[in-house]
Amino acid sequence: MRILNALRADMKFQFKQGFYFVYVILTLFYMIVISQLPNEYAKYVVPIVIFTDPSFVGFFFIGGLVMLEKVQGVLQCLVVTPLQPLEYLLAKVISLAVLAEAAGFAITLVAYREGFNWPLLFIGILLTSIFFTLYGFIATNGCNSINQYLIKMLPYMLILTIPTIIYFITPSLWVLQLVPSVAGLNLVYGAFNGIALVEAVMYICYLVTLNVLFFIKVEKSFMKNMVKG
Amino acid sequence: MLKVSGLEFSYEGTKTKVIKGIDFHIKKGEIFGFLGPSGAGKTTTQRIIIGLLQGYGGSVEVMGKERRDWGQSFFEGIGVAFDFPNLYLKLTAKENLELISSYYKNKNENIDLLIERVGLLPDKDKKVEGFSKGMKMRLNFIRSILHNPDLLFFDEPTSGLDPLNAKTIKDMIIDLKAQGKTIFLTTHNMTVAEQLCDKVAFIVDGNIPVIDSPKDLKVKHGSHTMKIEYYDGKKTKTEEFHMTEIKNNQRVFDILKTKDIKTIHSQEATLEDIFIKLTGRELV
Repeated sequence: MRILNALRADMKFQFKQGFYFVYVILTLFYMIVISQLPNEYAKYVVPIVIFTDPSFVGFFFIGGLVMLEKVQGVLQCLVVTPLQPLEYLLAKVISLAVLAEAAGFAITLVAYREGFNWPLLFIGILLTSIFFTLYGFIATNGCNSINQYLIKMLPYMLILTIPTIIYFITPSLWVLQLVPSVAGLNLVYGAFNGIALVEAVMYICYLVTLNVLFFIKVEKSFMKNMVKG
Repeated sequence: MLKVSGLEFSYEGTKTKVIKGIDFHIKKGEIFGFLGPSGAGKTTTQRIIIGLLQGYGGSVEVMGKERRDWGQSFFEGIGVAFDFPNLYLKLTAKENLELISSYYKNKNENIDLLIERVGLLPDKDKKVEGFSKGMKMRLNFIRSILHNPDLLFFDEPTSGLDPLNAKTIKDMIIDLKAQGKTIFLTTHNMTVAEQLCDKVAFIVDGNIPVIDSPKDLKVKHGSHTMKIEYYDGKKTKTEEFHMTEIKNNQRVFDILKTKDIKTIHSQEATLEDIFIKLTGRELV
């Protein structure tokens, strides 16, 4: 199957470019720091670390990946193969989600000594990772170098992180729950600190819908922005 | 194999047509040279045929079907080598080929043979980032033929290659033609076009003023004379004779019998001369 070959190719590319090496070091660092914390702090710190770091892998890494492929001209070559934009995007989304899940669970299993809702953690990391990967894809539109992307990603990040920080300080501002990053944070946080079933289902439905819409948008604009841009 | 009729194209947001109603067709097993200066419309036309640019006017019939009606399976039947090497720099030469090969139904079982053909076998397990431009171009070239496609697009295939490696690539293109492959060659190198192409089209400002075989063009636009250079004592003399007169011209035979000949040349024009004559433009 082409999609599996694309996934294998992506993982090989990420490994050879040193992405996994950087990430293993970062994850080990988090494990060591968090395991030093007293238990009562861990249940707050672990979800925040897992949300802000492994879940953001998509956003940080996707820009690097796409820009490296663009700069090396590989995208130009891929679009004249039978590989479909849908398969290309899926391979990226899946490979980065696997990385986010692996790091998220590694940190939790090593550094967190209490019980947690692992299916909810899995879903929370997955939906957040997919969202940020697609969001990162949108941010790469029109960029022709990694430096351009680094400048452009800042406002994109701030649009989501500022409301998340405000929500964390004042959770009563319910309207902020509509911000996708807040929905993702609540799912991950809920996996460690509990969350009402209805609330979790609503966040999941909301993020699934957003991810589907983003996927359609990115796929449609892929040829125009990624290849010809 | 490929039939282009009344092709027109404007880039989004502009009204200016960069391709202005061009027509040409390429038969199966033919090498078709698309020649023109930078900005003439060579790459745009190639990208329309490949399918990287949509929204064209006119008709582009490729492998029996209008281009806009083809799906992704179109790419199983074509191979493209762009004019710059687009390779995964951190992967080895062989990994690059295996990765791209995995996307095709027709997988190549003899990748090493292809690598050997372009002289890269000793370097097949080295990362491409350490390759010279010439090595990358050769790898880029064989990547386009990995899946044994019927229609090939080569954009400046000998660019950046030394004469020996350029010859290897030209020989491979001739072999591909012998196997019945159809080749669309984009270049501004007139020598390469003359050596390889069955037919050439000159494209200037989005128009094609001339399509013909290089040989016919040279005959039609040359002076149809023969120039003999010979030694006369310590001096070198030159005389020119019209081709139609040679067999009845005693002077030609006298020179050949009595003089030491330095050179004899028929005076057909070069493709470059003809291009300049017909288009009023230089190939830059």
